Amino acid sequence: MMRGLDWRLALRLALRDLRGGLAGFRILILCLALGVGAIAAVGMLRSAIEGGLSDQGAIILGGDAQMNFTYRFASDPEKAWMAAHARKVSEVVEFRSMAVTADDRTLTQVKAVDDAWPLLGVAGLDQGTVAAALGIQNGLPGALMERVLADRLGLKVGDTFKLGLQSFRLGAILTKEPDSATAGLGFGPRTVVRTADLAQSGLIGPGTLFETDYRLILPPGADLDAMKAEAETAFGDKGMRWSDRRHAAVGVEKFVERLGSFLILVGLAGLAVGGVGVASAVRAFMETRMATIATLKVLGAEGRLVMGIYLVQVGLIAGLGVAIGLALGAAVPVLAGSLIASLLPFPAQFGLYPAPLLQAAFYGLVTGMLFALWPLSQAVRQGAASLYRGAAARVWPRLAHLGAMAGLLGLFVGGAVWFSGSAMLALGTLGGVFAALAVLALAGFGLRVLARWLARRRFVDGRPGVRLALAAIGGPRSEALAVVLSLGLGLSVLAVVGQIDANFRASIARDLPSRAPSFFFIDIQDAELQPFLAGLKANPAVSKVENAPMLRGLMTKINGRKARDVVGDHWVVTGDRGITFADTPPPGTQITAGAWWPKDYTGPAQVSFAATEAAEMHLKLGDKLTLNILGRDIDATITSFRKVDFSGAGMGFVMALDPAAVAGAPHTSIATVYATPEAEAAILRDTSKAYPNVTAISVKEAIARAVEALGTIATATVLAAGAVLVTGVVVLIGGAAAGVRARMQEAAVLKVLGATRLRILASFALRSALTGAAAGLVAILAGGIGGWAVLRLVMDLPYRFEPVSAGLIVLGGMGATLLAGLIFALLPISVRPAQVLRGSE
Amino acid sequence: MNTVLEMSKARLTLKGNAGPVEILRGITLAVAAGESLALIGPSGSGKSSLLMLMAGLERASGGSVSAFGQDLTRLDEDGLARFRRGNMGVVFQSFHLIPTMTALENVAVPLEIAGAPDAAQRAREELAAVGLGARGGHYPSQLSGGEQQRVALARASVPRPKLLLADEPTGNLDAANGAAIMDLLFGLRDRHGATLVMVTHAPELAARCDRVLRMADGRLVAA
Repeated sequence: MMRGLDWRLALRLALRDLRGGLAGFRILILCLALGVGAIAAVGMLRSAIEGGLSDQGAIILGGDAQMNFTYRFASDPEKAWMAAHARKVSEVVEFRSMAVTADDRTLTQVKAVDDAWPLLGVAGLDQGTVAAALGIQNGLPGALMERVLADRLGLKVGDTFKLGLQSFRLGAILTKEPDSATAGLGFGPRTVVRTADLAQSGLIGPGTLFETDYRLILPPGADLDAMKAEAETAFGDKGMRWSDRRHAAVGVEKFVERLGSFLILVGLAGLAVGGVGVASAVRAFMETRMATIATLKVLGAEGRLVMGIYLVQVGLIAGLGVAIGLALGAAVPVLAGSLIASLLPFPAQFGLYPAPLLQAAFYGLVTGMLFALWPLSQAVRQGAASLYRGAAARVWPRLAHLGAMAGLLGLFVGGAVWFSGSAMLALGTLGGVFAALAVLALAGFGLRVLARWLARRRFVDGRPGVRLALAAIGGPRSEALAVVLSLGLGLSVLAVVGQIDANFRASIARDLPSRAPSFFFIDIQDAELQPFLAGLKANPAVSKVENAPMLRGLMTKINGRKARDVVGDHWVVTGDRGITFADTPPPGTQITAGAWWPKDYTGPAQVSFAATEAAEMHLKLGDKLTLNILGRDIDATITSFRKVDFSGAGMGFVMALDPAAVAGAPHTSIATVYATPEAEAAILRDTSKAYPNVTAISVKEAIARAVEALGTIATATVLAAGAVLVTGVVVLIGGAAAGVRARMQEAAVLKVLGATRLRILASFALRSALTGAAAGLVAILAGGIGGWAVLRLVMDLPYRFEPVSAGLIVLGGMGATLLAGLIFALLPISVRPAQVLRGSE
Repeated sequence: MNTVLEMSKARLTLKGNAGPVEILRGITLAVAAGESLALIGPSGSGKSSLLMLMAGLERASGGSVSAFGQDLTRLDEDGLARFRRGNMGVVFQSFHLIPTMTALENVAVPLEIAGAPDAAQRAREELAAVGLGARGGHYPSQLSGGEQQRVALARASVPRPKLLLADEPTGNLDAANGAAIMDLLFGLRDRHGATLVMVTHAPELAARCDRVLRMADGRLVAA
């Protein structure tokens, strides 16, 4: 008679069976704890940063809300609106300039403030107060500088330097800038001065590149949504951009969210490796329980009761592993909180966040059960007699169990998509992981077949050590598949990261500088342009100078509709962009569609648009763009598309207008200078001396900053990939440890037959090295394909196989397996044969 | 004659790495209710495999096997497990006690699986019947070989099976312990009126059975 499963009986029998101890489950616990711990730690860190950003939003922003303008100060109606709505207003001007001393000069990001700054939070200074440091002493206005900038210029507090034509006294070193996180990636370290003191500097003139932020302290209970709507309706089409404390640092938030999601997905790869460990651990455990299962069957237990007993055990053990992982993941960010906080450029609030812990627990439990079901179901399905014989399970799991596995897999993928918030990212990464697992499984299977085949060839005759190694890889109960899967997946993730990182660095450090200019010069006034260019062109070290007039403007509408509604978050519409104008196509211009306007054209405004970006934004010839330049709307019709190459870091404008469209608008020019590296210092010195208001941006320095930023991401990714690899090594060690008994038996028999310990050890080493090499080779294949896919398909960069990183991966794989194999071979070869053989009788 | 076990041309072929191996080559036999039958023969002749087939622990590759009128070849793994409850008790040469359970728990397991409410009490009585009433809390590793086999006997007999199958039950024991176990086995069988099929190498044990069948090379030959 069929009965439902008696869970109480299953639990009772499971608990009795667990009295045998957790020895068989150590690897399972460790695998899950590591995977869950890594995911929980990343999630907790992300929550801490998000918590910090949201809690201190107003301080980061410098006010409850901010109105931002490009290229101009707020107009009188805008200022009147602010005065009417806010309790306090502070004006901050941001621009780039050169900080110049008698001997040196360097780029700095200037923040010009009023007396109210900072409206919220406190600026950290090495001495004195903001008012004293910025105040006028002996006729010289004061300035604050970041330590790195002061050191670079050799300045001490009290020394003088110039911004443009104005001299300043270094009043104090700026140690903490409360509203710095909103600035994003700057092009130079910070200098803070009073706006009023810049009046004679010649830096903030019409046409120069600067932004103004008006920070507002609002009355208590102010409705941010309503105010935002009101301000955007009134001034949105004048180029005003609103932000408020709820999302003070949108860029940082997005970056943290994306990086966090990516690292969690890398963590999932680690969990998949751990899953392989779970499967091997469960298989190894079930092998120790074969006789018990057989006996239970002899005594009348149905498959479902046996399944229930072992499902309960694995569930309890997996729960323990997950709990340890959660404790680790929660403890690491809390314990290392102050250290991590000191490394972050934005506030983080460390604490216990339940959401990332729940997420990590979900992943851990689903993975544990998913990977445990197969070996469980196989063991349960096997006949009692074959269980007693100890035959390896070759049966397929029950259909119902296969269905349950498919359900768990769906839950896992669905969870990853849901939690990561990006289906593309989650499916792409998991697809890669599953593909790598499939390739690795094939490779593991292939290795076994190959080993079996080789073991029967003539060349192994007279080489019992080699034959034994090949037979062990190819024979029943071989560890090859588990090792290739677990170590291979860890190495694959590392190989993909290695290939991408090496290619990326190479393309920035090797390829870009050969094509990129030495300097960008910005803010060149019309009157200065000709002598400026003539001076450079006369320099024999300068190979090429390009220049173009430039304004900055924001695309607000496309064919009368809000630009963001039409093209979403395309980078062209997310902020103000450089716009040039020209009578005739600049030299080298390639028109791909339409035609450039006639010389001396004075009709309705026309714009030539970059072809690639136009295609991405689905723009057509004849589309009307509304561009806000200096608060004025210009409606321009697209009359041509042209090819613009942004990859060489040279001059590239998405939009070029006919000159009549911006006639009378104040503008400056931008120039790019290509020169020999040795001449760069002299060019910088001469130009900044002759043209103090012109700002030079060294491309090398900008690249160095980009590489630095990239380095941080790469380090974080390598750390996450390292966690994957550590899990792989744990699985490997687990496999090696589980095989000790079998190796003892082999070693004992071989000794009886006259083999020396060295010979036996060599055979064990060969077996390990072959397996590790196979894992490494597959990892290189996966790394190559993964790296190519990410670089070519996602980043649109050229891919070149990086052999050094790849070679290290294979060596690493062989080294790890060899080491684990040898360590766990020492006991088997040191035990006396009689001891082993007596025990097995 | 009331037949409890019937086999007709039963064959067993196992798949090995070197190809299929024919273990049993057409066994035909019938076992009557209450009878005691000894299976003897050299190692590898197929005695234990035949017993496994009778217990439904191995599936016949051909022919038919039926017990108590039930065709065992038609039952799946779970069906066989359910069928064994109350019908069959099996004793092995190497005891096969569950190492993580005490002697008492080992004896109680079949009753618990069958859903008997008084499993612990009946197990205690059965353990006392084999002389181990005081050792119920001991784990198998804390018992001698003879004691372990007595626990196994108690476990096999506690559900009062109609058929007792014993695979060399004294094979791992010394002469004195072996004799004691045999006395217990025959005593249990006599007390509960069960049918007994036993595999043995020992002629003196075989002689205690009503009938002796000899096996060689997977076939029954004249005793």
